[in-house]
Amino acid sequence: MTGLTFRLELRRSRMVAFWMAVIVLAYGGIIAAMYPILQENATALEDYMKIFPEGLMAAFGMTGSLVDPGVFFGTYIGSMLWPVVAAIAAIILATRPIASDVERGWADVALGTPLTRGHLLAAAIASQALVLALLALATVAGVLVVGRLVGADFDVWRFAAAAVVMWLFGCAVAGVTSLLGAVTLSRGIAGGVAAGILILMYLLNVVAQIQVELAWLGDFGAFKYLVTTELIDAGVMPWASVGLFATVAIAGWGASLAVFRRRDLLA
Amino acid sequence: MPDAIELRGLTRWYGKRRGVLDLDVAVHEGEVFGFLGPNGAGKTTTIRMLLGLIRPSAGTATIWGLDAWREAPELHRRLACLGSDPGYLGGLTAAQTLDYLGALRGLPAGSWRALAERLELDPGVAVKKLSRGNRQKVGVVQAFMGAEPLLVMDEPSTGLDPLMQREFLAMVAEARAAGRTVFLSSHNLTEVERACDRVAIIREGRLVKVATVAALLGDHTRSINLVLDRPAEDGTFDLPGVTVLSSTGQDVHVMVRGDVNPLLRRLAGLEVRDIAISTPDVEDLFFRYYEGTVAGSEGRAADPPGAGTALEVSR
Repeated sequence: MTGLTFRLELRRSRMVAFWMAVIVLAYGGIIAAMYPILQENATALEDYMKIFPEGLMAAFGMTGSLVDPGVFFGTYIGSMLWPVVAAIAAIILATRPIASDVERGWADVALGTPLTRGHLLAAAIASQALVLALLALATVAGVLVVGRLVGADFDVWRFAAAAVVMWLFGCAVAGVTSLLGAVTLSRGIAGGVAAGILILMYLLNVVAQIQVELAWLGDFGAFKYLVTTELIDAGVMPWASVGLFATVAIAGWGASLAVFRRRDLLA
Repeated sequence: MPDAIELRGLTRWYGKRRGVLDLDVAVHEGEVFGFLGPNGAGKTTTIRMLLGLIRPSAGTATIWGLDAWREAPELHRRLACLGSDPGYLGGLTAAQTLDYLGALRGLPAGSWRALAERLELDPGVAVKKLSRGNRQKVGVVQAFMGAEPLLVMDEPSTGLDPLMQREFLAMVAEARAAGRTVFLSSHNLTEVERACDRVAIIREGRLVKVATVAALLGDHTRSINLVLDRPAEDGTFDLPGVTVLSSTGQDVHVMVRGDVNPLLRRLAGLEVRDIAISTPDVEDLFFRYYEGTVAGSEGRAADPPGAGTALEVSR
């Protein structure tokens, strides 16, 4: 029963997954294709970057030379593309099984069968996790494959490990959004609040990087922990980030299950 | 006959807004039970509580002795349902929708085909491209495609054309013949009259009458339509047992309970152009309850929780 619903949820996610994958593959591929140009002009590029404040550079992931694969990836993907893609995909996917389906009446139809609320949501959560994993892999694959084709020395396993961190970040967003959906039963409110929180955290992270005396603000945002630079450049797995994102994801999804099982489904 | 459904003091508030108040209803196994009322009367609220989608504020809803909220998944193994305006996924075809819902109920793929043909439903069309009536057919097929002993349906024939409504009534009759219990809400009075063994009339969230259709129709009442040469004077029909249902001057529709002679004597003094006397149908009775003309059923504002009700409910 859960497997059947899982397959249906995957089917419903296929357009989001396809178009997001096209975007990340294309963007990642184009960025990776430019990597040799950055390598060839490393000195000139670094001279140019010196005109910007260090804090501003750090806010956007540029904490070293753009020629370093980790800094390169963190700047163009980890701090820019993935937060946007993960947020959009997670919000679309996580507001659907409860909030959107209650609003449209599909939850009533599905729950009018022996399918339990727990199984319905568990199937949806599993499909969210899988789609986000595919998107994280596609994001890394676009950079990695094109990078290799143009001669970049990208380490496959370190990039794969970066995909795991990115995936867990997406799962954390989905978990919290799922909980918001279960509490509000409104796709608009849940999606809006989740997006608002993410934008706020992004801004806090930028301010924290630019203003040293406000660095503590960064502790309240998820983006401080979405770090892949050291992982790719030095092979250091950010276990704290992994643990934090995994905990938030599991807690969010678990709480949404608990809330959904007790919730009046008021269309 | 044991009860399939039992509502005891069932009450639901949406904040300060009334849903239903203090409903007491027992639906016997094997009967077709109609739940009659206009939009906003509380029919859908009652059915959503029966299906375990919302919790009662007070009272209980049980199906075969199991609590409809706590035991919902277990109960859904033994009932099939059709909600009002079901929100099917637009991207799926009717066939995919029915196969999915059938599989959740343990039915083999395609077990809906005979019913779809009977209702002239094209199963290959995406639900988003179906008309309102055809989407409703998907719902009817979904409800009837299994063999669950209880069918719960919320305004099931809404949007169906007259031919399909007739087919729907035939399907209800077959379900009853097979020993299944049917609980359906409707504001289609003809449908209720034709399909149901017993009827509950709900008004502003309160139950005002539960009776067999036969008892309702045979309640010694007559529906009389009069066409007068000129409008009757005020008070002409102020007679014991006579209720004016509508009057537009010369056209008068009255309901007479009990002895008709006082009315006939009064009519003898008027110039009557035409008269039609009939046994009332459910529609007349329904409006009678809704006009507040039955002793004890006058309209009243919804009381707050705990205020109770003095309404007499016949069972």
